[in-house]
Amino acid sequence: MNEKLVNLDEFNMSDAELFAPVNQDELASERITAPRYSYWRSVFRVFFRKKINVILLSVLVLLLVFIYVYPMVIGYEADDRFANLLDPDGKHLTPAAAMEHYGSNIHWILGSGASGESTFDAIWYGSSISVTLALVCALINMTVGVIIGAVWGFSKKFDLFMTEVYNVIANVPYILLISVVVLIMSASFWSMVFALTITGWVAIAYFIRTQVIIIRDREYNLASRCLGTPITRIASKNILPFMTSVIVTLAAAEIPSYISYEVFLSYIGMGLKDMSLGKIIEDAQASMLTPGWEIEFWAPVAVASIITVVLYVVGQNLGDASDPRTHM
Amino acid sequence: MSKYLIKRILRSLVSVVIVIAVIMVMIYSFLDKRSIFANDPVFTKQKNNSREVYQMQQWEKYGYLDYVPYVDYLTQELKAGRLDEETFKSVSKLGKNAGADSDAVAEYVKKFTDKYEKDGYQVRRLDGIMKGKTKKYQDGGQPQLFAYKDIPVINRLFSYLGGIFSVDNIHNASGDVGERGLEFTLYDPAYGGEKFSPAILGNGTTHKYLLYFDGNFPYIHQNLLTINLGKSYSVNKDVDVFTTMTDSQGSYVRSTVTYPSGVVEFTADDLHSATYSEGSRENGTLNQKYYVDDYTVVNTVKSGMSKMGYSFVIGIIAVLLSYFLAIPLGITMALRKDKLLDKLGTIYIVFITAVPSLAYIFLFRSIGGRMGLPTTFDMQNPTWIMYILPIVSLALPSIANLMKWLRRYMIDQMNADYVKFARSGGLSEGQIFRKHILKNAIIPIVHGIPAGVLGALTGAIITERVYVVPGIGNVLTTAINAYDNGVIVGVALFYAILTVTSVILGDLLMSMLDPRINFTSKAR
Repeated sequence: MNEKLVNLDEFNMSDAELFAPVNQDELASERITAPRYSYWRSVFRVFFRKKINVILLSVLVLLLVFIYVYPMVIGYEADDRFANLLDPDGKHLTPAAAMEHYGSNIHWILGSGASGESTFDAIWYGSSISVTLALVCALINMTVGVIIGAVWGFSKKFDLFMTEVYNVIANVPYILLISVVVLIMSASFWSMVFALTITGWVAIAYFIRTQVIIIRDREYNLASRCLGTPITRIASKNILPFMTSVIVTLAAAEIPSYISYEVFLSYIGMGLKDMSLGKIIEDAQASMLTPGWEIEFWAPVAVASIITVVLYVVGQNLGDASDPRTHM
Repeated sequence: MSKYLIKRILRSLVSVVIVIAVIMVMIYSFLDKRSIFANDPVFTKQKNNSREVYQMQQWEKYGYLDYVPYVDYLTQELKAGRLDEETFKSVSKLGKNAGADSDAVAEYVKKFTDKYEKDGYQVRRLDGIMKGKTKKYQDGGQPQLFAYKDIPVINRLFSYLGGIFSVDNIHNASGDVGERGLEFTLYDPAYGGEKFSPAILGNGTTHKYLLYFDGNFPYIHQNLLTINLGKSYSVNKDVDVFTTMTDSQGSYVRSTVTYPSGVVEFTADDLHSATYSEGSRENGTLNQKYYVDDYTVVNTVKSGMSKMGYSFVIGIIAVLLSYFLAIPLGITMALRKDKLLDKLGTIYIVFITAVPSLAYIFLFRSIGGRMGLPTTFDMQNPTWIMYILPIVSLALPSIANLMKWLRRYMIDQMNADYVKFARSGGLSEGQIFRKHILKNAIIPIVHGIPAGVLGALTGAIITERVYVVPGIGNVLTTAINAYDNGVIVGVALFYAILTVTSVILGDLLMSMLDPRINFTSKAR
């Protein structure tokens, strides 16, 4: 180390020539040298740290490909289920029999249904309707619910009013509301969206309200308010980040629940008229009681279950990962 | 506390009334009122003008509108003495159209029109529909004249709410019933008048027996106060929803019955349920054989439970079972966090939460069926094993739900500062667990108990459908599919009252268990 030392006298220069004053930089002293923290990058880092999440996410992507791309690639239309209607030997076939009858390809690996349609194709086409319904409803309900829930949590006047509204809406039977909307507007996709969202946001708003109330009066927010931070800034900068994991977890539970709800409504005869997953399950109900035809019922039920479970688990784990306390 | 409670109950009642108002607006104003005839066989038989009249009559009966036919108006005038018999007869016969009326008829038609139009009614005249060119009317083609007015929702709401409780009194029966009054007897005549069994009988009341004893739980029965939640149109025609929900079902149970006339027969008739029907004894020859007065309308004794009974038995056992299993399981999961049991439990919870309920109920059913359990409910030959699958199907999801929350609350409490403090203070893990963690974690769970118990009364839609349980769960869906407005409103009211009550009871239970929770103090 000593070899590197330089003797300044060797340069034969004065101090003024050798040294120049440097301005003191106050900003530089404030700079933190720790690695940069990006919230979403940390979320994904934590999320992908678990092997199971990678697997589940691949399954989800595969499912989405089958739900949205597969029907498009084979050009499936709602009327295609009646393509083999006139073929008397092509109905209610087991996978093996269907492959023998129609040829061995991917369409027949789940057999054929009551009108000789491919169960496999019908399920994916139906899933695309059901999953889209669930996504649209979840998007609308979550947006409205989170915004109203935040206001509900902050404003005391609004709280009194909304609590009464909540008491009323929560007591109107959901099935009744949906059936009235369906009767007025016909059982189309968008009227179902309307029926599921007209009061669906209330429960979410109530949940968010409770969360906001819990966080609102924490010390750091009290301090922030004392320092004169406006309420909107407290809401967006202090509370919203806290709520991200709650919102993600909630959304993870909401999306599958709409799929389940659609299946339930179809089962009790109040569902979509379109060929959704619920409608397919409802139509296949009779087949379940006939020995040898059970697969027509169990296949769509199994697919519905797989879709909901994967969506739920991925969402829950993403929710866990989006909690900053797990980022250590 | 009691002041708070009264306030709370009143506020809940207001919410319930608003709920009913919202539902009434929904089904009476938004829905086409013609839809109630969708499943009415009588309606399809009616033709031409009489179909319109039938519609009006039914709409009046089910509270849609106020309907006054021309003849009713004339009868009213006759009773008031402004019209004599002869004129009544001559003016009640309408011409086939307004031009064909005789002068006297035209005069009264005009009076009728003026009177009701002034009161805001709409007056409609339907011209006669002739058979070709003959002078005969077609089937149901007689000319009609009537006035009608829609009943506003608010009036309908008040008349509905006012009619929920009705107390029987001795002026209820119309017509000549002899001396009206109540009679107390120690020897119930329904048992032949010799067995000791006190009863209160009424004459002039709607029910003959107002209070009586019999061998069925709860042994003392009354007919004095009846609950009317709304008449059914198509599901169970003309019967009140509450009766539909609470009447026993199944096959007849016959026993030896002594009728009021002294005839003894082996029958299922339940004389205790006798209600008044004017002129029924005179008009029915069979009634003359059995009865001595007009209290001839009786129910039958049936072997099965009521709709509510079946739902409640299944529901309450499921609730008990789920608390019994979920509490120890949830606690174990929390104590052995991240161990095998916790992981298995989490898989189970995820399965139940995410998978559509339809899917796992059918799964349980087919597994149960493989194990040889009966998968359908047979009311005629009741066995206790047919209850197993419906109970399991109801209990398993609620076990998952309870486990999930109990585990969550336990883990939250375990990380709380006071637990660390207790540990540093030298308390044993057992003490910390029993006296601190469990006590705090169980409070939110306890809050749900009343909702679980009362919720058992509302039944379960899918479970009851899948196992063909004759329960209450499907009353609402059946009513909606049949456009049975009376039943919809009645069931919705029943549900709303149960929810509101269970929330209040839950809060009470919680404040009893946890002295820190006090609803009356405002300072917070």
